[in-house]
Amino acid sequence: MEHAETAGLRIVFSVWFGLLGLTVLEVILAYRQLPLQTMLTMLMFLSVIKAALIIAYFMHLRYEQASLFVTLIPALVFILIMMTAIFADSSRLAHMRSLVQ
Amino acid sequence: MASSVDSPISAATVHGDHDVTVWGGGASPYSIPSKKLGMWLFIVSDAITFSAVIFAYGYLRLAAADWPRPFVAASIGNATVMTFVLLSSSVAMVLAVRASGLGKVSGAVGWLVATALGGVVFDILHIHEWLGLIGEGVRPFHNPWGTPMFGAAFFTMTGLHMLHVTIGVVYLLVIAVGFGRRKFSATDVEVSGLYWHFVDLVWMFIFPLVYLLSAKTT
Amino acid sequence: MEEQVHQHTAPTGFIRKYIFSLDHKVIGKQYYFLAVFSVFVGMILSWLVRIHLVWPNVHIWGLGTFSPTGAPGGVISPEYYLSLLTLHGTLMVFFVLTTAPQAGFGNYALPIQIGAEDMAFPTLNMLSFWVTFLALCSLVATLFVSDGPPISGWTAYPPLSAVGSVSGPGEGMGQNLWAVSIALFCIGSLLGALNFITTTIDLRCKGMTLARMPLTCWAWLVTAILSLLSFAVLFAACVLLILDRNAGTSFFLPSGLLVNGQLQNHSGGSPLLWQHLFWFFGHPEVYIAIVPGFGLISHVLSVFSRKPVLGYKLIVACLLGIGFLSFTVWGHHMFVSGMSPYSGFLFSIPTLIITIPATIVTLLWLGTVFGGRLRFTTSMMFALGFISVFVTGGLGGMFLAQPSLDIFLHGTYFVVGHFHMVMGVAAIFGMFAGTYFWFPKMFGRMMNERLGKTHFWITFVGVYCIFMPMHFIGLEGMPRRYSSFVNEVMQPLMPVHKFMTIAALITGASQFLFFINVFWSMYKGPKAPENPWESTTLEWTVPSPPPFDNFGGKHPVVSHDAYEYGDVKNGKDYVMQTDPAGQPAGS
Repeated sequence: MEHAETAGLRIVFSVWFGLLGLTVLEVILAYRQLPLQTMLTMLMFLSVIKAALIIAYFMHLRYEQASLFVTLIPALVFILIMMTAIFADSSRLAHMRSLVQ
Repeated sequence: MASSVDSPISAATVHGDHDVTVWGGGASPYSIPSKKLGMWLFIVSDAITFSAVIFAYGYLRLAAADWPRPFVAASIGNATVMTFVLLSSSVAMVLAVRASGLGKVSGAVGWLVATALGGVVFDILHIHEWLGLIGEGVRPFHNPWGTPMFGAAFFTMTGLHMLHVTIGVVYLLVIAVGFGRRKFSATDVEVSGLYWHFVDLVWMFIFPLVYLLSAKTT
Repeated sequence: MEEQVHQHTAPTGFIRKYIFSLDHKVIGKQYYFLAVFSVFVGMILSWLVRIHLVWPNVHIWGLGTFSPTGAPGGVISPEYYLSLLTLHGTLMVFFVLTTAPQAGFGNYALPIQIGAEDMAFPTLNMLSFWVTFLALCSLVATLFVSDGPPISGWTAYPPLSAVGSVSGPGEGMGQNLWAVSIALFCIGSLLGALNFITTTIDLRCKGMTLARMPLTCWAWLVTAILSLLSFAVLFAACVLLILDRNAGTSFFLPSGLLVNGQLQNHSGGSPLLWQHLFWFFGHPEVYIAIVPGFGLISHVLSVFSRKPVLGYKLIVACLLGIGFLSFTVWGHHMFVSGMSPYSGFLFSIPTLIITIPATIVTLLWLGTVFGGRLRFTTSMMFALGFISVFVTGGLGGMFLAQPSLDIFLHGTYFVVGHFHMVMGVAAIFGMFAGTYFWFPKMFGRMMNERLGKTHFWITFVGVYCIFMPMHFIGLEGMPRRYSSFVNEVMQPLMPVHKFMTIAALITGASQFLFFINVFWSMYKGPKAPENPWESTTLEWTVPSPPPFDNFGGKHPVVSHDAYEYGDVKNGKDYVMQTDPAGQPAGS
């Protein structure tokens, strides 16, 4: 292998502490009285950061060839973005249910 | 007719009538072994499966007026501990891959077993939590607090994840034994690591979406 | 570099050679014959459906014994009619169109065309086939369970498919077996997809740049990417459906549902959610069914026009564009479902846009053929026929793409005519073209050309007779999935159904010309030379059939594009990809 299979130990442990810290942050956030949408957005944002850290440093994608990243991640992100189209119907359903009650 | 090639070489440039980069053959353009690419592709697909289930949950929760938030502090605490356990097991996995790459067989096996142990602890905490909720009356079709879909979504998402963790534990132990016997290579350890990190990654989304968004904050 | 290889000695023993073989060529044939079996069963089911529409009270010999509840006395009940067409659709879409073009021909030819000994993961390949086989067993088993196959169509919409046996015959065990079958099929497809992608990227031989790959390989790659991404969603949907049916969850079931007079104990779900998840998969699925055909037709047209493919890079770009866009259009199956009408508008735009790359590809095919020195082999006839039927069927899509028209056309025979022309005819023509093309390589013998051409002409005329009229009765408002039409508006259209049924029976019968040709030629056909079609790609540089490791231990070196036809050199109007003239200096 031209490069080491893993990142250096210091980076690994830094990422670990970062992940633990972000987890604590998420838990604290959960106990603040925030509207659902805001809470959801902030939690998702933090989760994406955590996921990115795991993918980049634990799964080593940061150290692989850029072409591998380009092959895997944009396709996945595209699928996820397309799936959000279903939420238009979800909010419509919520609205229709509120009319019936 | 076909002619033979002695050894695989990476892409070479041909100088002739025109500049053509000739694919050398025998090496991945991503410079990774095929097994690793295969696992990455599997992970992309499995991520989409989990996403579809999570989107289904989001779709139904957004449309529900009566989604309960029943998780008391003890539950959230338990889930947080589970998160810590899984994150730590991921670090153990990184150390296992590192050791295997350096040729340290017993070290790699040790860290692999430690990772698997983390998974087992996660499963035990999880099952314990499930039993508690079942004891309180939560079912896939009913719960005492709100829309029956709460239990359905909860058991489906966490159940699917727990299944992946359990399969991962078995997988890691198989790799540990095989690597210890020099039957598997460092690549195999690395590939199993990718799977394990993926399982951890999914939990990074399930934890806030299932637990934190249903935390009892009042 | 490690691994990348496989067996160095030929497998011995019947089981290792023919049953649990790791050889991609054997696995490709296994998939192919699985598809042949499925298309045979599916075709018989279509005959039963068509016969019932026109002669509803006829006693079909043997059917009464086979299914006393579904067809008492041999007369098909309305529910059994739905069962038959559900099984027909499921078999055809999954076990014919999603197996043979990709896993059948792709498994067989991809490794050889790129100069590899085998696929990247031979064991996984074998597992993929046997998982798919198990899926087929689960599906065919529905015919033999007490209630019969499910009645919800291949699309299995809830609530009908999710509430269990209360909603009708076949909705108990039948629907469960269906869901398990499809879930298993998803797994088989997923494993196959990652095998195809890894093989295409990693195992190309020296000189085989992506730009030198035959278009078949590009098509299989795009199809594999679509499969990897879309079957994942179907798998999730099937899991949720199985849970709704068996664990009491309500992902797809709302509250207050009254089924056959019984209030269902479900609450909180939405049938629209299933439709979104299903069609998110379902639309890429139809491109999975046709894109291998695009690749093969581009390939075959070039070989038998003795001309390079016109616009190779443009075709690749269009395939990629079609693949990308296929994930943006699924809502066009849901225009009248009750989804947000704004979504309808948003889905209609990319649906119309996707016709552009498809049209470009079609024009490039015509450009490839134009001015060529055509060789009218049976394979070429089916390739040319493909262009015709694909255009005809595709044009129907332009109507359906518009929500304003779809309000009227959805659920009518117009839709049935459209998808049968593009999937049931065009994709099948691709399979025929592929069979007649690769048969010599696969079995070492030639098929009978006269029988082949007869098969082509009867089929070509026949499919137009069967499926064109469907567009017209659809425009008249005739609904689909109805077992009989009794009112005064629909009755005058019944002679059209009679015409279509007779055409279907004749065309179906003529398929036996194909089956006979295949099975007889396998054993008694004249021996095939190494390169009967004078084609340039790598599979034609090895014996017919090839040795177990394809290239006899050698590693081919490629120095030419895949479509160098036309210029006459050394008495030949083609240049093999491995021709040494044009080799890089110093190798």
